[in-house]
Amino acid sequence: MNTGEKFKVLYIDDEQNNLNGFKATFRFDYTIYIAANTTQAFEYLKAHPDIRVILCDQRMPDKTGVQFFEEMREIYPDPVRMLITGYTDIESVIDAVNRGHIFRYIKKPWTDNDVKSAIEEANKFFLTSSLLVSKNNELQSAYDELGKFAYSITHDVRGPLLSIIGAIDLANGITDVDELKELLNMMSEAVKKLDEYIKNTHEYYKLKRGLLQFAEINFSVLLSDIAALFRITSRNNNISFNSEVIQNEPFFSDEISIKMILNNLLSNAFNYQRKNAGEKFVDVHIEVKDNNAIIKVQDNGIGIHESHINNIFTLFYRATSEETGSGLGLYNVKDALNKLNGKIEVESKINEGSTFIVTIPGRTHGTK
Amino acid sequence: MVQNKKLHFIVIDDSKLDCFIAEKIIKNTGKCESIRSFLQAKDALSFIASNPPDDTSHTIILVDIQMPVMNGFEFVEAFEKLPPEQIENYTIYVISSSINENDLQKVHNYKTVRQFLNKPLTSNNLAALLV
Repeated sequence: MNTGEKFKVLYIDDEQNNLNGFKATFRFDYTIYIAANTTQAFEYLKAHPDIRVILCDQRMPDKTGVQFFEEMREIYPDPVRMLITGYTDIESVIDAVNRGHIFRYIKKPWTDNDVKSAIEEANKFFLTSSLLVSKNNELQSAYDELGKFAYSITHDVRGPLLSIIGAIDLANGITDVDELKELLNMMSEAVKKLDEYIKNTHEYYKLKRGLLQFAEINFSVLLSDIAALFRITSRNNNISFNSEVIQNEPFFSDEISIKMILNNLLSNAFNYQRKNAGEKFVDVHIEVKDNNAIIKVQDNGIGIHESHINNIFTLFYRATSEETGSGLGLYNVKDALNKLNGKIEVESKINEGSTFIVTIPGRTHGTK
Repeated sequence: MVQNKKLHFIVIDDSKLDCFIAEKIIKNTGKCESIRSFLQAKDALSFIASNPPDDTSHTIILVDIQMPVMNGFEFVEAFEKLPPEQIENYTIYVISSSINENDLQKVHNYKTVRQFLNKPLTSNNLAALLV
């Protein structure tokens, strides 16, 4: 919503001369739509729901301005309404306020300056109210997510802790060393899961509150840092790991976000492998072209069932009980991509593997 | 009704450690004829559906609430759609780390669920169920 741009103003009056005069006077300041009756006005509103300010004459043959406002605000509550009239009986003023919820009342004959300042005031009012609406929406979604976090803490934090308490209790009665070792291994998995959850929560917070820092990104360097960590998993679990980077132009973006995205996609690709598969692989391919970075991460792991694919980016959603997911990873990826104006596509087949394709537009150097 | 029958156990929990703990504790009671753990509720459900119990035995199900794909409540709902003569041979306990009031309340809505148990399962609170 830019105040510097021309915004849309609709004027309804049954006198064609008034309409023409209005358009001639204000067409340089605003994008003007003129309607000779309310039917035509509704057509304009349908075609341009982003009309910000509506001025309407009170006395028209088909219906009064108040009646029109009363009807239109049911469907289009956002535009700011102003009534223009030559008749100043108190009843119609009361009606206009109570039934039409109007912002201003303009008396005929109007002066250009009066109308202009009324439109400007109406625009300010519009901007303030819509800012309030968008802030409220932001607060609501933050509050909803807080609720989800509070609930998940009982499962994702309390769960592993209670498992460990149970395991310690059980261990007191076990004398067999091998059995104890088996138990210790499982306890260590539970602790790792808890740690993973905490790290993901931190990433979530960093993304939500942190500002993006745009810098030049060399994908070869960035990937080799990240890949070093996965080489160990690759060797230990016998998963072949291939990476390729094609970058012949500078690329500007937020390095922390991109690292987080790559880390999550790669760690999913390595984790969700089929236990007994023959030739397991994870491929990552990054290409920078026409100021777009296209990151493709492919595996031949367990894949994602069709019925889950639309939900995998949902907060705390888990599509499988294999492996220990937190339900935060892909949500964080999606959130980071929203901030970077990027997108993600998924192709997946159960028992055949998944391919994630991320496209991130580069920032032009120098712009914020 | 349980005393003179053989006891079978089914544990449903997506945490391997919790299944392991439950198995050990159940075995230690000395009152169990067999025990099966399932990491996925769907697998448990198809096992139950395809293995009708005989009249001489009774099965106790311990099911976790928060699990991916099919959660504990969804499991109970699907379970209650099985033929009534089959359901009779089972007793369900919901066992969870949840302290969410909605979850605790919801447990009362299912007629096949005997009781809500807090994690972790201990030999004492299991013994209390079996007397």
